[in-house]
Amino acid sequence: MANTTTWTGSDSYLCDPELAQAFHMSRVLGMPLLIEGEPGTGKTELPIQFAKDLSLDLFVYPVGSKSTVEQFVAKFDHVKYLRDSQIEVLNAQREEKGLDTKLSTGGRHTENLDDYVMLGPGAKAYTNINSVLLIDEIDKAPREFPNDLLYALSHRKFVLPESGREVEVSEDDMPAIVITSNREQELPTAFKGRCIYHYISFPEPELMKEIVGKHFSNIEEELVQRCIQLFYQFRQLGLERAPSTRELLNWLKYLRNFEVDEALAKIESREGLGVLIKTQSDMIRVKRNSY
Amino acid sequence: MFQSLPHHFREHDLVADVRTLLQLKRAMQKGLVNTLGDIYVVLKGLVTTDPADFGPFTAAFYSYFLDVDIKRGEKLDNAILRSEAFKNWKEELLKDRDDLEVPDVRELVDRFLDEIHLTTFDIQKIVDGAEILKQDDPDMADTNPQQESDGARTIDRAADYRDVDLEELLERLERVARQQKGMHEGGDHWIGTGGRSPYGHGGAAMGGVRVGGGGGGKMARRVVGDPMYYPVDTKSILRDDNIDAALATLKGIEDETAEVLLDVPKTIKEGLKQGGIFLPYEKEKIDHKVQVILMIDNGGYSMHPYIKSVTKLFSKMKTRFAHDLKTYYFHNTIYGGAYSDVRRRDFVPVDKIIADDKNYSVFVIGDADMAPYELDYSSLGNWQKIKKHFPRIAWMNPLQARYWAGSNTVQTLRQIFPMYPLTPDGIEKAVIRMNRKRKFHKKN
Repeated sequence: MANTTTWTGSDSYLCDPELAQAFHMSRVLGMPLLIEGEPGTGKTELPIQFAKDLSLDLFVYPVGSKSTVEQFVAKFDHVKYLRDSQIEVLNAQREEKGLDTKLSTGGRHTENLDDYVMLGPGAKAYTNINSVLLIDEIDKAPREFPNDLLYALSHRKFVLPESGREVEVSEDDMPAIVITSNREQELPTAFKGRCIYHYISFPEPELMKEIVGKHFSNIEEELVQRCIQLFYQFRQLGLERAPSTRELLNWLKYLRNFEVDEALAKIESREGLGVLIKTQSDMIRVKRNSY
Repeated sequence: MFQSLPHHFREHDLVADVRTLLQLKRAMQKGLVNTLGDIYVVLKGLVTTDPADFGPFTAAFYSYFLDVDIKRGEKLDNAILRSEAFKNWKEELLKDRDDLEVPDVRELVDRFLDEIHLTTFDIQKIVDGAEILKQDDPDMADTNPQQESDGARTIDRAADYRDVDLEELLERLERVARQQKGMHEGGDHWIGTGGRSPYGHGGAAMGGVRVGGGGGGKMARRVVGDPMYYPVDTKSILRDDNIDAALATLKGIEDETAEVLLDVPKTIKEGLKQGGIFLPYEKEKIDHKVQVILMIDNGGYSMHPYIKSVTKLFSKMKTRFAHDLKTYYFHNTIYGGAYSDVRRRDFVPVDKIIADDKNYSVFVIGDADMAPYELDYSSLGNWQKIKKHFPRIAWMNPLQARYWAGSNTVQTLRQIFPMYPLTPDGIEKAVIRMNRKRKFHKKN
């Protein structure tokens, strides 16, 4: 039985109530949770922290432009298969010549096709009851990928290549599946229909303070206050690339290395902003708007 | 239950169908739905697929479940103030506490929203908060703390909430709250669904736990009436403000494949070296290209308003993800060729245009409306040649579709080309058709 209790975050991860509800719902219904939102709002962190907090097995499939469902489910290793069959021929020849030493196939048998099926994160998560599966940045995938995934998601079943073995999971044992997307590409409507959709809106300053608190236990209140204030000010400038939570945290991490007074002085002189502002034109705008 | 829901939500341009109902039913069976706020959360997860859906979704939700009719662009507060549901709720609320002075209208709306969006999740939090408070206040009468809970409440009554008046619904919420708590004798003392307890919603913190109204109401209020949350009108002619929507659909023409192929030459070469033992070698084949030819009718006044947005759209496409974009210009129709510059000086004959790879996606942009004699036999022949060479071709027409029938030349060209209105919606359709062509093409 998969874990279907509400999870509202851990010591190091703050999960806002809306997200917690959506995540809970997706686990209860056995449907994947599709999270969209600005970069750096903790989309990927959710399943990672969830798995860590409840010590569940986590399987991650980072999607790239070359991703195929094959890699996600399982792949038949033709190369190994051919190699092993050649080794059998070789061994037979060696035997004929009276040689004792045999080349090894590493315990694999060419008759047993299952030996050559390499399970991907998808199939692994389906065979591990009560696990967590993260499909990260699905918007980076080739267009066909989400559509190919549809079958497995709606039937809760994978068919392994060549060996034909079926990996099936019951509705109750479905792993908690979280899919993240940065909206660089529209996903097919049919795909979205199979998921519980949640959009992480950017945290309000108050929530942001709590998030910072989760990451840095002992940090000067004054410093955090000033950083957050400036951070939201920068975000309102309409920059080409608005700074995100991740960048704020990195900024604080950097400033924490100094004494408070020194850090505050650094903020006022706009030193070390490279961690926050990522393009030249943005930097010019920020500096111009600062005084 | 809720049979008319998909239809109602579809009227708000949302995707809802029988499957939505089945999933909602499943959610109810699994005990996810105990309050109206839960329905909001569950349906939102099921129905919305884009932040732009949130506005229409909230509007559809309020009009379906509470009969609150939100006019386009109107703020939620105002719509609620007008509504019957709010009036009834207010009457009931004030009846109970006539000794107190009437709270501010805004505050009432806040409380109303908090009650609508009260979810099981919030109730859980209130219970947790109550636990903390209990520890803080040992003098509190707590005679039977270990009383068994009645268990999670399941909705067994097949009732359409529209027929239930809000009062009854809220009463149910309160009942649920009491049951969920289950641990305290003086249940209503703790939970403020009716706003009668001292620990109501509205941001009051209780022992570090925020009580109730988990932001659902705030979210709904923010969403409704906020232009950002209204969908871009994908059926309106391409303008600067819906270019990004069009761009997203255009991205679909990107041709991107990744395969692992057997490297035959290397396998044979290495195999021969090994004395006939052929160990396979693989190589990656990566295709990543977007090839687009744009043919724009830039002559005449009729096309003038659209040229800017069209060129802007495709130049944006070029910087974002296309690497190969060719633009030709013509006036009304082509005679033997088109021009490669805006002023139509550098002539490019048709034969040269079709010398390009046939995998190019071709968008012809023009109103196709001209004097019948202009579209003569040779011109038609040229169009046909282009169509024949590029299977992925579409004519995008800025003229509103209802005027197409009125023009002979539009009718004629429509017989040659698949024609779509020059709207984000039309572009999407064109792209879908082009992709179909490509698959067909590959098989051959």
